[in-house]
Amino acid sequence: MPTVATTVLRRPVAAALVVVAAMILVTLPAVTGAAPACAATAGPHAALVIDTGAGVRSFCVALDTPSVSGIHLIELAGAQDRLSYGFGSGGQAVCRLAGVGPQGDDCFADYPQYWGYWHGDGHGGWTWSSTGAASARVGDGASDGWVWGSGDSGATHPKPPPSTIADVCVTAAAPAASPSPPRATPAAAVPSSGARFSASRAPTGPSDPGTTPSAKRSKEGIGKTSAPGGPPTAGALAAAPGPPPASAGPGPGLLVALVLGAALAGGGWLRMRTSRRRRSSG
Amino acid sequence: MDRPTLHPMAWIVWASSAGFVAFVTTDPVYLFLLWAVSWFVYAGHRVDAEHARSFRLFLTGAVVAVTLRTGLVFFGTVSAANTTFSFLEGLRLGTILVIFGTFNAVTDPFGLVRMAPRHFHEPALAAALALSIAPRTVAGVGRVRDAQRMRGIRIHGARALPALAVPVLERGMEEAHTLAESMDARGHGAGRRSRYRPQPWTGAAILIAVPAIAAAATFLAASVGGWAVLHPQTSPMVWPEADPLLLAAIGLLAVPGLVGRPER
Repeated sequence: MPTVATTVLRRPVAAALVVVAAMILVTLPAVTGAAPACAATAGPHAALVIDTGAGVRSFCVALDTPSVSGIHLIELAGAQDRLSYGFGSGGQAVCRLAGVGPQGDDCFADYPQYWGYWHGDGHGGWTWSSTGAASARVGDGASDGWVWGSGDSGATHPKPPPSTIADVCVTAAAPAASPSPPRATPAAAVPSSGARFSASRAPTGPSDPGTTPSAKRSKEGIGKTSAPGGPPTAGALAAAPGPPPASAGPGPGLLVALVLGAALAGGGWLRMRTSRRRRSSG
Repeated sequence: MDRPTLHPMAWIVWASSAGFVAFVTTDPVYLFLLWAVSWFVYAGHRVDAEHARSFRLFLTGAVVAVTLRTGLVFFGTVSAANTTFSFLEGLRLGTILVIFGTFNAVTDPFGLVRMAPRHFHEPALAAALALSIAPRTVAGVGRVRDAQRMRGIRIHGARALPALAVPVLERGMEEAHTLAESMDARGHGAGRRSRYRPQPWTGAAILIAVPAIAAAATFLAASVGGWAVLHPQTSPMVWPEADPLLLAAIGLLAVPGLVGRPER
């Protein structure tokens, strides 16, 4: 007759667990959101696409850790490519990007206009982010998109123009520097696709493609170029490991982990069985 | 409680190290391995006390936490990436709960009070009471339920709550009283430091604590140094990675399961 006690007790205990879980969930992103800064290495890159409504700017951002928060990605773009930005809500929310957006700490001061946050799906499309930029993780090959506009959900807010990491982090035909040439080669043919978006909108920012000399663009590492001859950016981005690892299969480490996990689980089960037997016999 | 357990401090070190590892990563490989490690350690070291049963409670809680956290995605845009992200966040929370459940099952919370420095005795007692509230409630409910069953009492639904809560609370008060009296008898509270059955740092205890610290340090280094992926990206989705060094670190957390439990 396990009904009385178990059903009655389970409810309050479950409720308490839910409360605890909720509290931890609220605090976790705040604690872990601040990614530690450290020495940059020529390794992971992510794309940052910023659509001010009047123009699109794309950044190929070198990450300083294998994965960073969405906030830190913007900071990195600011440090590497002089993207201007302003955060609110204690550095948790994005107020201003590329000179667009409210001053001050209230990022919804210009509501219904605000910065919508999107994640690239790896195929050129975008999905509305379910988390804030402070707790979102951006890793190698990922794309983050920010669009200034109105609309409270992914259904109504304008999307960034379709683009992938390969469009933004244009890799030159420099197979020696690129860790995986097969993916880098098709990307080299892409640069002109970036021009599609920029050309359709009026350039806004000071370093927007078309207003800056290509040499400067190259130094700033902005991937998209309106010039048909794209390659100036190539030199700066040759080190970018172009391919999003999405297509890569599971690594050998996973197999080791699987064996280790199975051994631990099996070992534990055996121990339980023997100790139970010992107890019932003794 | 009579069975000598390992030094409680060793278990504190183990649990906080394992908890730290779970805290800094959302990689499901490491998190699922921590579940396996917890199970392995629990199987080898669970105490023959009723509060060891609370492991199952925490396991249930962990599953609930993972489900709830993943379910939260339905309040936003449902996509594979968002669902995975939520699942991994929930999994991290669930892992911490499982580790805490293991800690509860392998150690005696009141053993911790004995080691507290004299000035911190009262906070330590409060902490031990708080830590043991869930396992003691589980044990208490089990006893009351047994007693009711023997007397043929069958109450269902909401009306069963007072019938259950009152004896459980009463029993809790009694236990607290007994505990206070026994501590008083052993010189606690009077300002004297009890050396009654001091728990030694055995080799086994050191074998639990030192590898655990090494494991936590490895993950700390990976987190700060950024030489391994601790948060696999979810958009676009990729296979999680398993760094050999970090796998070895998690293996170190399983060492307590290999160390024998001291017999009576």
